[in-house]
Formats: sequence, C-alpha cells, structure tokens
Amino acid sequence: MILVIDALNRDTFGSILDEMYQLRARVFSDRMGWDVKITNGREIDEFDDQNPAYVVQLDEDLNVTGCARLLQTTGPHMLSDVFSDILCGEPPLRSALMWESTRFCVDHDRLDHGKGGKSIAHATCELMVGILEYARTAGIEDIVTVIDPIMNRILKRSDNAPYDYVGETVGMGKVKAMAALLECSEERIKRVRAFASITGNIFIPENELAEMMTAKVRPIMTTDLQDYFDDQFSSATNEREKAATRALQQALGDVSLH
Amino acid sequence: MELIDLADMPNGKSDFVGHLRNVCESLGLEYASYASTHPLSGTVHAFTTYPDRWKNHYMEHGLHLQDPTLEKAARSIAPVDWGRLERSANFQSVFSQAYDFGLPDTGVTIPVRGPFGEVGLFSVSAPLPTDGWQKLRTQIIGNLQSSAVYLHDAVMTSETVMKSLRFPHLSSREKEILQWVAAGKSQQDIGDILSISLRTVEVHLRSTREKLFALTTAQAVGRGISLGLITPS
Repeated sequence: MILVIDALNRDTFGSILDEMYQLRARVFSDRMGWDVKITNGREIDEFDDQNPAYVVQLDEDLNVTGCARLLQTTGPHMLSDVFSDILCGEPPLRSALMWESTRFCVDHDRLDHGKGGKSIAHATCELMVGILEYARTAGIEDIVTVIDPIMNRILKRSDNAPYDYVGETVGMGKVKAMAALLECSEERIKRVRAFASITGNIFIPENELAEMMTAKVRPIMTTDLQDYFDDQFSSATNEREKAATRALQQALGDVSLH
Repeated sequence: MELIDLADMPNGKSDFVGHLRNVCESLGLEYASYASTHPLSGTVHAFTTYPDRWKNHYMEHGLHLQDPTLEKAARSIAPVDWGRLERSANFQSVFSQAYDFGLPDTGVTIPVRGPFGEVGLFSVSAPLPTDGWQKLRTQIIGNLQSSAVYLHDAVMTSETVMKSLRFPHLSSREKEILQWVAAGKSQQDIGDILSISLRTVEVHLRSTREKLFALTTAQAVGRGISLGLITPS
C-alpha cells in the first residue's frame, strides 16, 4: 500500500514519517555507507525542510517498508546541489514536467524476514508504480532518480529498465550511485504492474488510514489489562470513577500509539 | 497550446494578464491568477483575470492572508486541487465570499519552485460539476504545469537584476543536442548520432527550451546562438 505524505497532511502521519527517517538511516548510513547526517537514529537533511512529497510504502501492519522523496527540478533539488559528482559538475536538467526522486529505498530486513513474505523486487515495483502514478496525476512526464547499481539491476529485471542515465556512475560510500531516467508513461506503469501482479488502486485513502492507525492501538491492550479495566468499571460506584477509568484507558491507548 | 511569448513584447512590458486570459481561453477555464514574492526585491507580483469587484473585495478584506489556495499550495510540490482544501475553516470563509460574487470553487493551484527556493502560485478555476472538473483537470494538467513555470520564469526575469542571475546554464549534452538541431538534424537522427534514445533527446530539448525561455525548439536555437551557447552552422 502506498501513502503520499506532503506538507498538507504531514501532521496527521507524523509517526509514519518518523519511521521513514529511521528506515533511511538504516539503509543509507548503515547499509550503503553514504555520508549522510544521522540524528537520533534518523536520517534527515536540508531537502526534508523544503516540503518535498514522500511516497511511502506500508505493509498490512502499517510498518514502513519503503520510501522515496520527490522534488521539483525547477527549484532546489539534490542533483543541482549535493549530487553534482554524478553530473560531473554539469548543470542538471530543469523542467516543469520532470521531478527528481531521491532516497529511494526498501527495507531489506523486514522484507526478507517479514511474515508477509513480500519480496524486495515486489516492494520495489509497488513503490515505483506509486511514484509513477502520483507523478502522472500531477502532469509529470519524466522522473530522474538517484539509485545504486543494485536497485538499477532490480529495475531492469522487473521490466522497468531506465530509458537512459544522466552523468556518470560514481562511488559513494560502500556502493555507487547513478541518476536514471524513467518516463511516467501508461505503458511503463502497465509493464511494472504486470510483472509484479499489482492490480487495482495501491493508494490508501488518507481518512481510512487515519482510522486504521487508531484501530492498530486496540490489540496492544493485553487481556489482563482489559480485565482490570472491566473490573474497575463494574466496581465503580459513581460517574467520577467511571470517567477516571475511561480516561486512564484512553491515555494508555494514546501512549502505545507513539 | 498557444502561449503568448512573454520574452519579447514590443514595448518591453510583458502582458501577464493577457497571457492568463489566453491560457483560460485555450484550455476551457474561467479564471486564472498568478502570485509570487520576488526572492531578492521582496516585491509581490500578482495578476488575475478575476473581475475587479472581487479583486477589490479580496484586497480590502485581506483575504490573501487566509486564502488556503495560496498558503497551503505553496508547501506542496504537486498541484493542489481545491477539493483537498475544503475541510479547512479558511476555505469555507474565503469561498463563501467568492460564492457571493458568483465565482467557482472548483479549481487547482500549481505551485512552482524556482532556483532560489521562491514559490510562484498559478491558480485556475472553472464552474463545473466535480466529475466534469476532474476530467478537464486530468486533460490539461501537463499544460498547466508548463504554463505555470513559463509564467513564473517570465515574472522573475522581468526584474533586471534577476536576468543576470538566471543566465541559462546548459549542460554539455544539452548544448550538443541543440547544436545538432541547429545543423538541421531531426531528433531521431540526433539520437542515432549520439547513441541515445529518442526520449533522452526529447527530455534534453524540453529542458533546454525551458532554460532558454523558448516556446519552440527553433526559438531555442535562436536564443542559444545569440547567447553564444552554440554556434550558427
């Protein structure tokens, strides 16, 4: 499932964003060894302050399993600034109809050992379809995306090969990085969907997700604790005690949410 | 879509409102507006095709301070359909007043981010039922994106100091492709000569046109030559 988080709804999905920053720290610092700034186990840079859009992938339990960050190429973005090595110092492409995707990653650990059994390739396809479909709705025709050679191979194998690259493949930390071009065409989306057997709408409606996040809290209440609250309720002698029990239960629910 | 060339107006003054009217007419829209704050001079640029009585009411009541089509859309990278703003209190306030002036509440705002991080906001609207509006928006969204950036760049370079700061920076690839266009080669030929895909040629040419503020590739060749970026062949 895909959720798009931007400046307009980020307050609602703050906990998901927080989890995403932690995933990025594990991937880009720990696994890929990129020179990224980690604060409190979270990878956040100055482009996160530019109100980008995040395409976030969630599993059935609403854990973050993948993400990408989108910025317009008409304004400040990574290829025009920090990734100038890839472009060999050349100015980047700038177009109203092209977005830049960076920090594209999926959670290898969770996808390898997770109970859903979803493969890395499948997750990459879904995330990619999410980016392409979201961009297409916005009238965008091409994506320039910074990826590593492993991701590049996954794209090629899943009928989603970039049509070209800009600049060069350069060393970055433990791996290399490159800038690939993908057109947001109906044909490409169809191909990737067919390869990964993705059907139907992959985007989660925002209000439904907000409800699911509340529902997720409930099972955390253990049976013992629930029994305790039931006892408290039945032995309550007045409205004040009942209200206090309800408030405590509510507070515990809120705590486990974070 | 026919765009009014905003670069070479005879009297040196660009007709931004005329450009907005032209966009409305060719895309089947009712109203269009553009607003931005200049990153260096702090000058506010605002143009609109809305009727004067609404403009006056809007300014008198300081509606720009609470208009969610400005404040919220400025923080998005994607076009913001006004339907997404309906739940905010400010939306109800601004649009109930707009309703009294007979103005539509179906529209979309395209945020443009410029190289200095400045934001331009291009809004269009049309009095259509929801499904009709969504259909139209889907059809014209690419055009709207291009028009928005074109207009924003035109407004930003209308001040002399920005013109020099925003000298177009073409990459070697972009120059190479434009040079081959100047030599009369087709896009397919250029792809073959440089061993790159047709799409790569197209994408670089689009970027070149936008950087050179040209509406057509022929115009981009002309500007490229006059700026000394390529040589006449």
